[in-house]
Amino acid sequence: MAENLVLKNLYKKYDTNGKKKQAKEQPWAVHDLNLEMEQGTFVSILGPSGCGKSTTLRMIAGLESITQGSIFMGEQDISSLHPKDRNIGLAFEDYALYPPLTVYENIAFCLRAKKVPGEEIDRRVREIAKTMKVEELLDSKVSGLSGGQKQRVNIARALVRHPKVLLLDEPLSHLDGKMRQILRGEIKRLHHEIKCTTILVTHDQMEAISLADYIAVMKLGVLQQYGTPDEIYNDPANAFVAGFIGDPPMNLLRVKVVEDASYTYAFELGDGSLLRVPEKFYRVIHTGDVFDLGIRPTSITIVEGEEYDARFKVDLFEFLGEERSVGIQINESLLNIVYNDNRRFAEGDIIHIRVNPDLLFLFEPESGERVRPR
Amino acid sequence: MEQKKISEKAVWAVGKVFLVFFVIFSVSPIIWTVIISFKGDNEIFNTFLRFTPTLENYTAVLTTGNYVKAFMDNLIICIGAVAVSVLVGVPAAYALARYQFRKKEDVAFTILSFKFAPEILVVIPLYKIFMSLHLYDTYFGMIWIYQFIGMPLLIWIVRSYFEDIPVEMEKAAELDGYSWFEIFFKMLLPLVRPGLVASALLAFIYCWNSFTFGLMLCSFNVQPITVAALTYIGSDTFHYGQIAVAAIIAIVPEIILCLCIQKHLVRGLSFGAVKG
Amino acid sequence: MAKITLEHITKTFGKKTALKDVSLCVEDGEFLVLFGPAGAGKTTLLNMIAGIDDPDSGNIWFDDTPMNFVEPSNRDVAMVFENYALYPQMPVYDNIASPLRSRKHRTDEAGIRKEVERVAAITGMSEYLERRPSQLSNGQRQRVALCRALVRNPNVFLLDEPIAHLDAKLRNAMRKELKLMQKNLDCTSIYVTHDFTEAMSLGDRIAVIRDGEILQVGTNEEVYYRPAWEFVARLFGECEINMIPARIEKRNGRLWAVTRWEGVEFPVPVDVERSLGDVAEVDLGCRTPALAFSREPAAGYVRGSVYSVEPLGNKTELIVDVQGDLIRFIIPVDTKFGIDETVYIGLNPEHIIFFDQKTEAFLACHGEETGTEV
Repeated sequence: MAENLVLKNLYKKYDTNGKKKQAKEQPWAVHDLNLEMEQGTFVSILGPSGCGKSTTLRMIAGLESITQGSIFMGEQDISSLHPKDRNIGLAFEDYALYPPLTVYENIAFCLRAKKVPGEEIDRRVREIAKTMKVEELLDSKVSGLSGGQKQRVNIARALVRHPKVLLLDEPLSHLDGKMRQILRGEIKRLHHEIKCTTILVTHDQMEAISLADYIAVMKLGVLQQYGTPDEIYNDPANAFVAGFIGDPPMNLLRVKVVEDASYTYAFELGDGSLLRVPEKFYRVIHTGDVFDLGIRPTSITIVEGEEYDARFKVDLFEFLGEERSVGIQINESLLNIVYNDNRRFAEGDIIHIRVNPDLLFLFEPESGERVRPR
Repeated sequence: MEQKKISEKAVWAVGKVFLVFFVIFSVSPIIWTVIISFKGDNEIFNTFLRFTPTLENYTAVLTTGNYVKAFMDNLIICIGAVAVSVLVGVPAAYALARYQFRKKEDVAFTILSFKFAPEILVVIPLYKIFMSLHLYDTYFGMIWIYQFIGMPLLIWIVRSYFEDIPVEMEKAAELDGYSWFEIFFKMLLPLVRPGLVASALLAFIYCWNSFTFGLMLCSFNVQPITVAALTYIGSDTFHYGQIAVAAIIAIVPEIILCLCIQKHLVRGLSFGAVKG
Repeated sequence: MAKITLEHITKTFGKKTALKDVSLCVEDGEFLVLFGPAGAGKTTLLNMIAGIDDPDSGNIWFDDTPMNFVEPSNRDVAMVFENYALYPQMPVYDNIASPLRSRKHRTDEAGIRKEVERVAAITGMSEYLERRPSQLSNGQRQRVALCRALVRNPNVFLLDEPIAHLDAKLRNAMRKELKLMQKNLDCTSIYVTHDFTEAMSLGDRIAVIRDGEILQVGTNEEVYYRPAWEFVARLFGECEINMIPARIEKRNGRLWAVTRWEGVEFPVPVDVERSLGDVAEVDLGCRTPALAFSREPAAGYVRGSVYSVEPLGNKTELIVDVQGDLIRFIIPVDTKFGIDETVYIGLNPEHIIFFDQKTEAFLACHGEETGTEV
């Protein structure tokens, strides 16, 4: 039977040392969280700091008490089990290795605590060391290792007891750019090899998108959207998810619907320039409505010729290697366009753009809720 | 869950009760002293709260003898000593915090080690030195020796405050066009002030309470209050009421200072200067 | 404004050499980026120009004036520090005003108010003038530091990793803001960074520095398309350049590059041939355009298997294991690969950058003079 990890109506509020007044004002760290993670999948919990992602992880691991709700592993309710009985491996962001011990002893530590026979320990440590590519380091002391090596050992230690679920708490955030990129590839590969249910907590959207099968985006303790990276990226549920995901970030512009002689409907941008409204939205908008318009920099193409959605004057041109970027200043904000052919533009050039109508999103200005075409 | 809350409340209540006992325990000697100071000699032992209040102890201490002069002497010595500590200690602390020189840590440690030896250990040699330098029983001599009491502490506290200020801040001010003295007084001193004030006040209290040096290194011209209070223990009778008055007068400046210190000790330092 | 000339600057700290015989010329009004990894000596060089550190040997000139023995306050240099170095005891207004209140740049209070409000408006800090630095976010502190440097129209403007500590999204926005501000800035500027995107976007020219030595000075397109060393090539580009070792062989009067992957060999482009000389062992620097992939076997393609796939939203990074070498490149987002799937890799010779394997120095690339793709 598949052992799915299920979070059911999970709530968490932190203790306030008996001060009643504070307890009332204290916000929920996690509010009514429901998630089902299929066995063997890679799930990422993503959000800015203070969104409750680490709290959720710690509740799953059993390091934090649950205020309300329950956690199931398959049929079994594990909410009240002691952390050591939950069969969960946890790798913290800051390594938390035991400095006086060797790498070997660090990895073997939890097996020794469980009184696993010596030969068995040796076999399992060497096996996991091979997977994590730390075989040569087994005899060295932890203090001499680089950040990337420490994190490998850290993950090896979490994996050595064959957990049902592997929890990774910001595993890459202490590493520098290059090392992060390499280890990211390794973690992806690792999951493919061991097929263990993995939950990654991160604030880096790039990490979540590139590694996970499913992403849960959280904000202030509330789940915003749960879906595949593709869904999250191309079909965001609200303005928060849209703005949080993607690098370079999505353009979010306040627009007003106006009627235009040639287009019937157009979006008026802050500086008075107009953008044609895709026909699919005609049935949900009215003249005078105000929306937040979201377009990814890569969903805009700069075109030559007659057929275009809007025209702008270039304020900014950046050469970024394979990619180039054009910026258009609209009041305080900047409309960013990214393309990867070798055209160049200079400040003051007039450009015509087309927007991919499938990737143009509208959001309610107050709530940030998505406005979908009917 | 309910049970957990009840046990939490119990812990909270026990903690409060303990605190109340502790306050009574620590304040009661002072209250007792105040009460004694208003009692006549004959009532000292026989009554506790019911007695005829009298001011005769106060008049005795304030009008006769040299207690008022001792109080002023103590004030002069302590203020002088603290002033010297600050004038010498702040530049020393800055140097120890900012400059790299050989044996820097050894120098810093030596300064702190002045506090290690018991005063009684050095007082005999000091007496000989004071006699031959004609410093015995002078304000100058007393200030000179009293500043040793507070300075090590002051240097170490202020040094750590200087170390917490990023060097870049000084460099930025330098590029802004300020001279070193301007930077020191306008940018740095405001930032170390909480530490400076707190450690200066502590130094003042240490000096105020010092007894050994005052007993051995001066006699008639200069006399600290701690030594003067001793005179009320006569050879035949103890004037407990007068001792109580002397004690109360002696602790008044300290209580005032302690209230000031409290405010400065909790104040944060160069928070927000650098990336958070 | 001033032209800055550095001649043979050397600096050691104890036994460590921070700068080795550095010579550099920054033109009047130029925006130069000093780019290199951590510990390369970037900040030391900046400190020399500001006068915070003195060189052991070598000369610093501003125009025709020797600066070696001029006090920092007399150099008319403004600097933005990596940790901002604000005065915490003063509100933002006084922080920004502080240069104008010094004896050197004394201005009357009315003039100060005018200038402070001018720079605050440029950086969008007008509403925060009464706050203290501790009440600001990192992004706002950084802007205050920028304002303080801009307020007095310095001769030379030095920026030391001013946006390195911001999160990705804010960094992106601030980079573009700096780029927009650049044109209103009429002073010689030197900008230190370890982020290649910042370097390519902002620099009129980029000086790449490693271990206290300047490796290359050039425009963004020069350092990207014609890197002087393998090291420089590795630093630029989101997905690290692949270095594929190859032998140069003479066949029928033409030079051929033969990789150690069987069947992957090609005649060297004619204009490259001339610059190769008699180097026998080369490294082929291959960025994404230089690599081709196919699901079916083809002539000149080598078989590999997918090691890891990392979707990045609008594109996907593919890591392919080709006979033990990991090759990284970007593929379009709509091309899907599974891990361990077979893929065939080929090369596009006209996009390859040739390096000498022994010295790691640049040899040649196709269409060298323009640098743009053909």
